[in-house]
Amino acid sequence: MRRGRLLACVCMLGIFAAALVTSLSYSLSDALGPGPGFFPFWLSLLGAALTVALLVEIARSHDVATASILPSQQAAWQAGGVLIALAAAAALLEPLGFRLTMLLFIAGLLFALGARSPSAILLTALAGSFGVFHVFFYWLKVPLPIGALGL
Amino acid sequence: MDTFQHLLSGLTAATSLQNLGFALIGCFLGTLIGVLPGLGPAAGTAILIPLTFTLDPIGALIMLSAIYYGAMYGGTITSVLINVPGEAASVVTCFDGYQMAKQGRGGTALGIAAIGSFVGGIAATVALIVVAPPLARIALSFGPPEFFALMVLGLCLITGLAGQSLLTGLLMTVLGLLIAMVGIDPVRGAPRFTFGIPSLYDGVGFIPVVMGLFGIAEILLTVEAPYREVVKTKLTSLLPSREEWRRSFGAIARGTGVGFFLGLIPGVGAIIPTFVAYVFEKRLSKTPEQFGRGAIEGVAAPETANNAYANAAMIPLLTLGIPSSPTIAVLMGAFIINGLTPGPFLFGTVYTHKYKPRSRTKRGSSPNTILRTFE
Repeated sequence: MRRGRLLACVCMLGIFAAALVTSLSYSLSDALGPGPGFFPFWLSLLGAALTVALLVEIARSHDVATASILPSQQAAWQAGGVLIALAAAAALLEPLGFRLTMLLFIAGLLFALGARSPSAILLTALAGSFGVFHVFFYWLKVPLPIGALGL
Repeated sequence: MDTFQHLLSGLTAATSLQNLGFALIGCFLGTLIGVLPGLGPAAGTAILIPLTFTLDPIGALIMLSAIYYGAMYGGTITSVLINVPGEAASVVTCFDGYQMAKQGRGGTALGIAAIGSFVGGIAATVALIVVAPPLARIALSFGPPEFFALMVLGLCLITGLAGQSLLTGLLMTVLGLLIAMVGIDPVRGAPRFTFGIPSLYDGVGFIPVVMGLFGIAEILLTVEAPYREVVKTKLTSLLPSREEWRRSFGAIARGTGVGFFLGLIPGVGAIIPTFVAYVFEKRLSKTPEQFGRGAIEGVAAPETANNAYANAAMIPLLTLGIPSSPTIAVLMGAFIINGLTPGPFLFGTVYTHKYKPRSRTKRGSSPNTILRTFE
C-alpha cells in the first residue's frame, strides 16, 4: 500500500513539475494584472508543495497493511491491453467506421474480460455496434462515423 | 388567485391524453440519455430537439421538459448499478448508491432516488409558481463577489468530501483546477497547456474527465479482478423499509431546499447542489462514518437536490430569460425554436399561448411575429 502511494506521489510530482515549467513560458503578470501563467504557476507550485507534504506524511507513517494497490503482472498486462485497445478504437473510428470498430472493440474487450461464450460475445458486440448505430443514426438522426467500407 | 387559475388552466392542457403521452415518451428518452455514460442531458436534449419539430408548442414544451427531467434521473441508474455516472449530476450518487447495490439494496437505492426526485421536483414546481418573481430578483442581484464566494464554497466542500485525509483532498482540488487551466485564457485569450492541439483550445470537457475517472477506472478494476463478484441486486424491493423511510425523510426535505435555492442562481450547474446536499447530510448525520458505505441519506439527499435544482433552474429561464446551465441553455433554444421566448414576455404576453390550445404557428417566424400572433 505504502509503495503504491509513494509511486502515485512521484507521478503527481512529475505532473506538477511539468506544469510549473510550462507555466513559466506564459506571462505571470502584465499591465492589466495577472497574466495567463499566473494561476497555472501558483497552482503547480501549491500542488507540488502538497505532494511533498503528502510524501513526508507517507514516509513517516507506519503503514503495516499488506494489501497492495499495485496490480499483479498479468492484470497489468491486461489493463495495458485495454488502454491500447481504447486508443486503437478511437483512432480507427473514422477510417473503419463506428459499426466495424465497435464490433471488434466490444468483442475483444469481452474476451479480455473473461467472456468465453461465442454467442454471448457476438450478440453483445452486434447490439453495441450495429444496434447502437441504427438507433442513433437512423432514429435519432445523430451522425456517427461511416468508414471507407461503407460500414 | 390569478396564479392558481392559470395553473389550473395549464393542468387541464397538460393532462390531455396526447400530452401525457408526450411526457411518457420524453421521460423514457430522457432516462435513456441519462443511462448512457458520456451522453449528458445537454447533448442528449440537443440531439432530441428535432423530435419536437412535428409537435405543437405545448406538446413540444412538455416533451422537452420530460426529456430533461428524465435525463436527470436516468444517470442514477448506472451510478447505482455499475458505479458509472450517466451524467455529471449523478457522480455523488455513486458514493453510496453503488455501495447499497453491493449490499443487495440496489432496488431500494433506485426507489428512494425516484421518490426523492419526485418529491423534490413537485415541491420545487409548487415553489416556482408561488415565489418565482421575488426569488428571481434576489438571484439576479448576484455579482462577481458572490459568485467567487460560491465557487470557494464549492471547492471547500469538495475538499471536505475527501474523507480522512485533508491533504489528499486539497491535492486533488488543486489538480482539478490545474486541469481546468487547459484551454484559452478567458481574460487574455492566450492558449494554455494546449501544445498546439486545436481540440484542447476549448479545454478538457467535464464528461471525458468523469468518464476517465469513473468509466475507465471501472474497466481497469474489472480487468484486474475479472472473476470478482458481480453485483446482484433485488430490484423487486424498490420501496425502502420503515427505518429507511425515517432516515430519508429529513434528507429529502433538506435536499429539496438546497436544490431549489441553488437552482435560482445562474451558473451554479447541476453538480454543486448534489455535492452540497451530500455534505450537508453528512455533517448533520449522527452516523457520518456510514456515508460512502451505503447510507440511504447519501442517495436520497443528492437525488432530491438534483431534481429540485432542475425545476428551480427554470425560474431564471422563464422569468428573466437567463439559462442556469448548458442543458437549460439548450432548452431555451428549443423553446425559441418552438415559438416561446423565455423571459418577461413569456409571462406577460404569452399566457394564452402557454395554456390555450391553438392552431400551429408557422415555424421560423421571428419572436416578435409570434408574440403579435398571441396578443
